[in-house]
Amino acid sequence: MTRAMSRNARAAYLFLTPAILGLVLYTLLPIAGIVGMSLTEWNGLVAPAFIGLGNFRELFTQDMFFFTSVVATLKFALFTVAVGTVYAFFVAILLNQRIYGRGIFRSIFFLPFIVPSIGAVIVWAWMYESNFGVFNFLLQTIGLDKVKWLGEEATATPALGLMTVWGFGNFIVIYLAGLQGIPRTYLEAVEIDGGNAWHKFRHVTLPLLSPVILFNVLTGVVSNLQVFVPAMAITKGSPNGSTLYMVYYIFRTGFQNNRFGYSAAISLVFFAFIALVTATIFLSSRKWMFYEGQ
Amino acid sequence: MKTRKMNRIALTALLALLGAACLFPFFWMLRSSLMGNAEIYNYPPVFWPKTMRFGNYPSALTLFPFGRYFLNTMMITVPSVFGILLTSTMAAYALARIDFPFKRAMFTLVIASMLMPGTVTIIPIFKAWVAVGIPGGFIPLIFPAFLGGGAFNIFLSRQFLMGIPKDLDEAARMDGAGHVRILVQVLLPLLKPVLISVGLFAFILYWNDLLGPLIYISRNEQNTIAQGLANFRGGFGTDYKAIMAASCMAVAPAVAIYFAGQKYFIEGIVLSGLKS
Repeated sequence: MTRAMSRNARAAYLFLTPAILGLVLYTLLPIAGIVGMSLTEWNGLVAPAFIGLGNFRELFTQDMFFFTSVVATLKFALFTVAVGTVYAFFVAILLNQRIYGRGIFRSIFFLPFIVPSIGAVIVWAWMYESNFGVFNFLLQTIGLDKVKWLGEEATATPALGLMTVWGFGNFIVIYLAGLQGIPRTYLEAVEIDGGNAWHKFRHVTLPLLSPVILFNVLTGVVSNLQVFVPAMAITKGSPNGSTLYMVYYIFRTGFQNNRFGYSAAISLVFFAFIALVTATIFLSSRKWMFYEGQ
Repeated sequence: MKTRKMNRIALTALLALLGAACLFPFFWMLRSSLMGNAEIYNYPPVFWPKTMRFGNYPSALTLFPFGRYFLNTMMITVPSVFGILLTSTMAAYALARIDFPFKRAMFTLVIASMLMPGTVTIIPIFKAWVAVGIPGGFIPLIFPAFLGGGAFNIFLSRQFLMGIPKDLDEAARMDGAGHVRILVQVLLPLLKPVLISVGLFAFILYWNDLLGPLIYISRNEQNTIAQGLANFRGGFGTDYKAIMAASCMAVAPAVAIYFAGQKYFIEGIVLSGLKS
């Protein structure tokens, strides 16, 4: 018995070797790496010089971009996930009604999900273009003034967020599958008690889908805090740092300005920041999550 | 009965309107790629070109060598997808079908690393590649795909494997099969749907990646499609008809892949979101 067990254990760990190596080489060691590098001044050409907490002192007391960058990133992720969740839920509910051509519509709404973000950014930037863009044409058609969508602090992040929400086709498909899994009897029970569509939504649909919502919100926030392409390809952090998203800031500091120690320090703080946001969402979910059988 | 049908038509119309808005950027990209210089900068905008200028495509190709970029992207994507399928299936098999010490801990570790933000570690990983003497090229982009294939994919395959009866393994073991044979001969054929889903998502991920190539590929002749497109946009910021033609070419393969494997995309998404 123990021999079979140890044979199994050996096989299991052999099968897991690549994954364990990945965890060590691509997560644990690099995190140790950013901790170490963050304590140095390093231009990548000469040997790194140990400067203690100098980078962090600079980060928190002198670097005016850093705080701007944190705020911009948080705004982008929260806007995108909030608007995206409402959008995806709304479309999924529509798709779950008695309609014609559900399959075709589902394909259409999912399609933007697979578009390379650089392609999406390019075409949306062209639509947002302030002189010839189609968005301003629509605004003028309904009698409003033109807006410099990507050129003003107030609109740049929401505009890029809207573009990102367009790609949330995966959320729609997930919510739709969740909706289709809700037992009809639950909804009928609300009807028998004289409840309307809102009651069904509030007391059956929402609680039953809350674990799915939590999953989507968590993965959505973590991935959108790491937004990079729009800042890199179009806005370069402008106007006034309002799109200076963290990953772009890390990239620019490291690979373009050759300050590897400093960009490691930013990475480390960014890591802590993501962990904090994730933990906050997770803990708050105890208040709004519904566990079946509770 | 009549109001029911009216309802159905009204809801379908609302969805058609939203769907049209959703498709609009695709339409706008195509429409802009077929216009002349004067027409594309017309205001108010023209909705469809008077004559479709397909010549924009060949002329974009002189500055945006799609064939070369396509090959480069494939040279990264194909081995990476293979590595992801291979190593994530191996890990999933261990986690779903074998009993071994610290199994729960290993599984928890996999789940936890799903939330690990990969972009945090780009700086030390790049420096490590420099230290081992491979500061750039395709290898640093392909290599990580062979290290477990991503927590998410392991999780997906593991969930799928949990749904397959274990009697199959037992029967094969009676016939003297070891773990490798059980996995390859018995389970692999049954895993086809989830493998296709994982493969397609991995393909799209690598196809669309921009950050990786920007870090590791500097020589123009090694550029990927996404990278080439970003450079093209940067260098020819105002020649929108050429940029749109290049964008159409860059987006087309992803769209083609999607329509070829639509069913598996949807199934993969559903599996990932609901079995958690």
